[in-house]
Amino acid sequence: MDQRPVSEGGGTPNWHLSAPASGQAQGLVVSGFASLPTGRALFLELGWKGVKKKGGGAWVEALRKVAQVTDADGRDPRAVAMGFTWSGLQKMGLNANALASFDRPFQEGMFQEDRLRRLGDRRGEEWQGTVIPGGPKWSGNTPLDDAAVDDEARAFDDRQEIREQRIKTPVTVHAIVLLYCEHDEAAEAWCEEVSAALAPFEVTVSHHLPLDLRLDKQGIAREHFGFADGISQPIPFETGTVVYKDGTNVPKDYWNGVPLGEILMGHMNGHNEIAQGPVVAASAGNTDGLPDHPKGVGFKDLGLNGSYMVVRELKQDVYAFWQSMRVAAAHIRERDPEGSAHVTTTWMAERVVGRDTHGNLLCPLGTIPVENNDFGFWDNDRHGMGCPLGSHVRRANPRDGLAPTPADKQTLLDAANNHRILRRGRKYGKTISVPPTPDEVDRGLLFVCLNTDITRQFEFVQQTWILNPNFATLYDETDPLIGPKGTMTIPEDPLRRIIDVETFVQMAGGEYFFLPSIPALNYLGSL
Amino acid sequence: MRQTTLSVALEVKPESFDHLSGLLDALRDRRSPNPSGGTGPFADFLTTVPAVHFMSLSVFPGFDYDPLFVIEANFDGAPGPFWGQLETAIGPDLRSFLRCCKRPLDHTGDLFDAVTAPDSRAPIAPYLEARTLTPTVYHHGNRGMTRDRILAEGELFLGTRKELANANDGGPSPYRKLTPVEIHAKLRAALLPQFGWLAEKAPARIPFLQSVGDYARLAWFVLLVVFALSIPGLILKSQLAWQYYAGLCVALFALFTGILYKMGKPLPGTATPTRFSFLTFFLRHLLVPVVIAVAVYVAIAAFITAPVWSWIGHKPFWPAWWDMAIWAGWSGASIAVTVAGILVWLRWLERRDASQDAPPVDPKMLREMARREDWIPQNHMGSVVLIKPGVLRAILIRVGHHGLHLLLRAQKAARNGYLGSMRTIHFAHWARVNNDSRLMFFSNFDQTWESYLDDFIEKAHAGLTLAWSSGVGFPPTRFLVKDGASHGRQFKEWARHSMTVSRFWYSAYKDLTAEQVERNYRIALGLRKKQLSEKEAAAWINDL
Repeated sequence: MDQRPVSEGGGTPNWHLSAPASGQAQGLVVSGFASLPTGRALFLELGWKGVKKKGGGAWVEALRKVAQVTDADGRDPRAVAMGFTWSGLQKMGLNANALASFDRPFQEGMFQEDRLRRLGDRRGEEWQGTVIPGGPKWSGNTPLDDAAVDDEARAFDDRQEIREQRIKTPVTVHAIVLLYCEHDEAAEAWCEEVSAALAPFEVTVSHHLPLDLRLDKQGIAREHFGFADGISQPIPFETGTVVYKDGTNVPKDYWNGVPLGEILMGHMNGHNEIAQGPVVAASAGNTDGLPDHPKGVGFKDLGLNGSYMVVRELKQDVYAFWQSMRVAAAHIRERDPEGSAHVTTTWMAERVVGRDTHGNLLCPLGTIPVENNDFGFWDNDRHGMGCPLGSHVRRANPRDGLAPTPADKQTLLDAANNHRILRRGRKYGKTISVPPTPDEVDRGLLFVCLNTDITRQFEFVQQTWILNPNFATLYDETDPLIGPKGTMTIPEDPLRRIIDVETFVQMAGGEYFFLPSIPALNYLGSL
Repeated sequence: MRQTTLSVALEVKPESFDHLSGLLDALRDRRSPNPSGGTGPFADFLTTVPAVHFMSLSVFPGFDYDPLFVIEANFDGAPGPFWGQLETAIGPDLRSFLRCCKRPLDHTGDLFDAVTAPDSRAPIAPYLEARTLTPTVYHHGNRGMTRDRILAEGELFLGTRKELANANDGGPSPYRKLTPVEIHAKLRAALLPQFGWLAEKAPARIPFLQSVGDYARLAWFVLLVVFALSIPGLILKSQLAWQYYAGLCVALFALFTGILYKMGKPLPGTATPTRFSFLTFFLRHLLVPVVIAVAVYVAIAAFITAPVWSWIGHKPFWPAWWDMAIWAGWSGASIAVTVAGILVWLRWLERRDASQDAPPVDPKMLREMARREDWIPQNHMGSVVLIKPGVLRAILIRVGHHGLHLLLRAQKAARNGYLGSMRTIHFAHWARVNNDSRLMFFSNFDQTWESYLDDFIEKAHAGLTLAWSSGVGFPPTRFLVKDGASHGRQFKEWARHSMTVSRFWYSAYKDLTAEQVERNYRIALGLRKKQLSEKEAAAWINDL
């Protein structure tokens, strides 16, 4: 319902799913529930030992009575979304073959040793500066898989065995429940209701975060640093499935259109394939509610209209951010007293983000208003004189900006759109005082995004764009906003400026979740 | 400067596969976060011999054949000295690797025996030289840049950053008030004492004679292909009156294009949308070169054959030349028919090719690869696939690869390191192994394996499909270039399935991407000049 900025009304109408997908997909797919400004993220741990052979999904059924997962067919007075980690599904007793049918990253978990390196969280034995000190608090604590160690006995094998390290967090998360409602008091009471309903099933809330939209006086939802958030989302299309409110098909949007299969499993994706999802044997329990798998004879499609949900708890140090911007601006003024009248702390922060605090895109002359999401970088700002090449928004979605020649603009735009993610994050924690002063408050963003190919979408964005030290022929610098301490280049005439930036965002926990469709959820509840 | 890209592929005794893998792993600490460097004398070799850019040692497991041990090397200069230096550095290790290999059945068997005999001190280099494969295609992203130059210009780049950041530290920067021309002059003056070589003239990256050779070889190749394609026409025209000949050509062409129209449609479920259109491509890029090539061929063919015809037919030279030109010209017109016929044959094969929808990928092997990837901004891949059988495939892969190779040496964008819109490859090459039955591919590229392949899938799927669709199991392809690699995940699984673990891999400049090498080059080129014009300076300053 709100692929437009949650902060401001957009010019284009919203997209919807038509039946039957609308009744099957979770509401979170089509909406960030902007009309429900408050909420809670409950991270659940299944308390029993080992794998349950029977009744592992009973708690899902019990949860339904107090917090039924919202579907995608219209606005509800309150909303619920729910996802499971691989370790959670395993504990609930999902069939081992079904568990093996999920996408590799989901099976291995976000905290697989090599994956953490690719995501910039950990190298070898060391957690990086972009992770909270002492390491993250929570994850799915996914067990090591068979590939972790090659202990197969072979004649003529004298190699030293390499044992992969299992990286664990203090808190284990098996499932996540996102609750959205109108008031904070209602949310609090609802949480207690949910906890009480789950307790008899040995399911506990092992970690929770209050989620907030908290619109300001201008009606803009801002993240903690003070910038308008939730701008520029991909717009899915699929004839007959993605429609406007009046039932007409949503056409492919030139700048931001992505095939529905980028967001929902079982639909055609950007690589000309049906987005793969998990399957379960028709004989494995009560599978009647699940559709047949289109290829596997005798199997049911557990994935259709489901998605993968990437969740990362990102702690923000607001004071450090503005302090660093102040220092950087002061340094520039000191080095260039005559040519830097425009360089203020806010100017600096806007260059780091790439947009002004209201969400308008920086251009060499003026800005592109936040409502307008139909633009490329090549024609507006090829050299990044307005929106710097390494700024956060340019790294998060380079559009056509990486084209080496004008002839390649189209190809590069199309290519970039094969790596889009649908963001559904919300902030948590109290807003900092104005002006910011250091405090001990835990605040940040619960980053949530949906995609069907975690490697090609979320991980690609994080690794090849956000944290790529050579993005757009820059050298030795990463995302100035969410990356580690380093430098940032700001192109300007006659000579670029380079500023030092600190670490402002630290990961406090994260995992890949399966966001099941309603029929798949029902099946999991029947386990 | 000549740069060499080569590989040596040796069959491994099946009993020694794991042992050899262990030996290669031991060349560097397996858990080392740094894929460059080695231990002991090997580290010295890599860092002190100013020649190696990238080098890898890997073993392909034996699925269809016995395992294959491959040394891949990309270096400056000629192979002879390189092998000698390698032997000096890690002779005993090399010998132990070779002892894991099978005795070759060809004439190099005796050399092998001499090298691998117990306590042997026979030089290894001759054996490796004798077993060296010539790549069928190779591509250099920073052509003509020697390792020394890349490293020196990298230093210079860091020097410019330091100077700009620190000049008059604590006070106003002296650079901020200057024009680009003045910034250039001041920066040059500041760096010249430290980088004396800025006063010297830049060596040419591609020497003139090498360029002439590149273009001449391509032209020669094109003429040979035109000749080969015109042979059916030559024979037919010598036997038929022109009316019959022309009629036959038109009829066959109509027949072939009719069949192609029917057969050209994708098989159900394999079509992918593409912006690539044969007709546009032909009209825009091929029509003029083809017409010129045919015209040149006709003229040259007539010159070559005219003396013979004038002697046989007792004719003066020019009338004889004219006769021959008419003959060749008629045969030239038949090339369209021959090409259409070949396409029918090709399409007939393609429609019957078995593609592998879900190539088996060994999770353990995948993990071993992942363990070694993404430590630095560059990565490495090695892959071996079986080549599709048949006469036409055998010809296409040889002619196609050779043509591609010559084109990459002569085409302007490729000479600048670009493949399509990408400049992410440092060194890549293809070679045929196992008695030409398998195709081996090695690449040293920037960014991740996923982004590297996604780049090709999204930005250059036609070229990628052309180069790899001769591999067994490749996703369904149309006319060598369509569909194929556009099936993203299927293609990636196929590629992963063909890959092996890069057990030892070395990069001489691990934080420099191909783009950064070019950026450093442009900065250095500007700084070598005493003065820049305003226009030059305005462009140059963007790279700082």
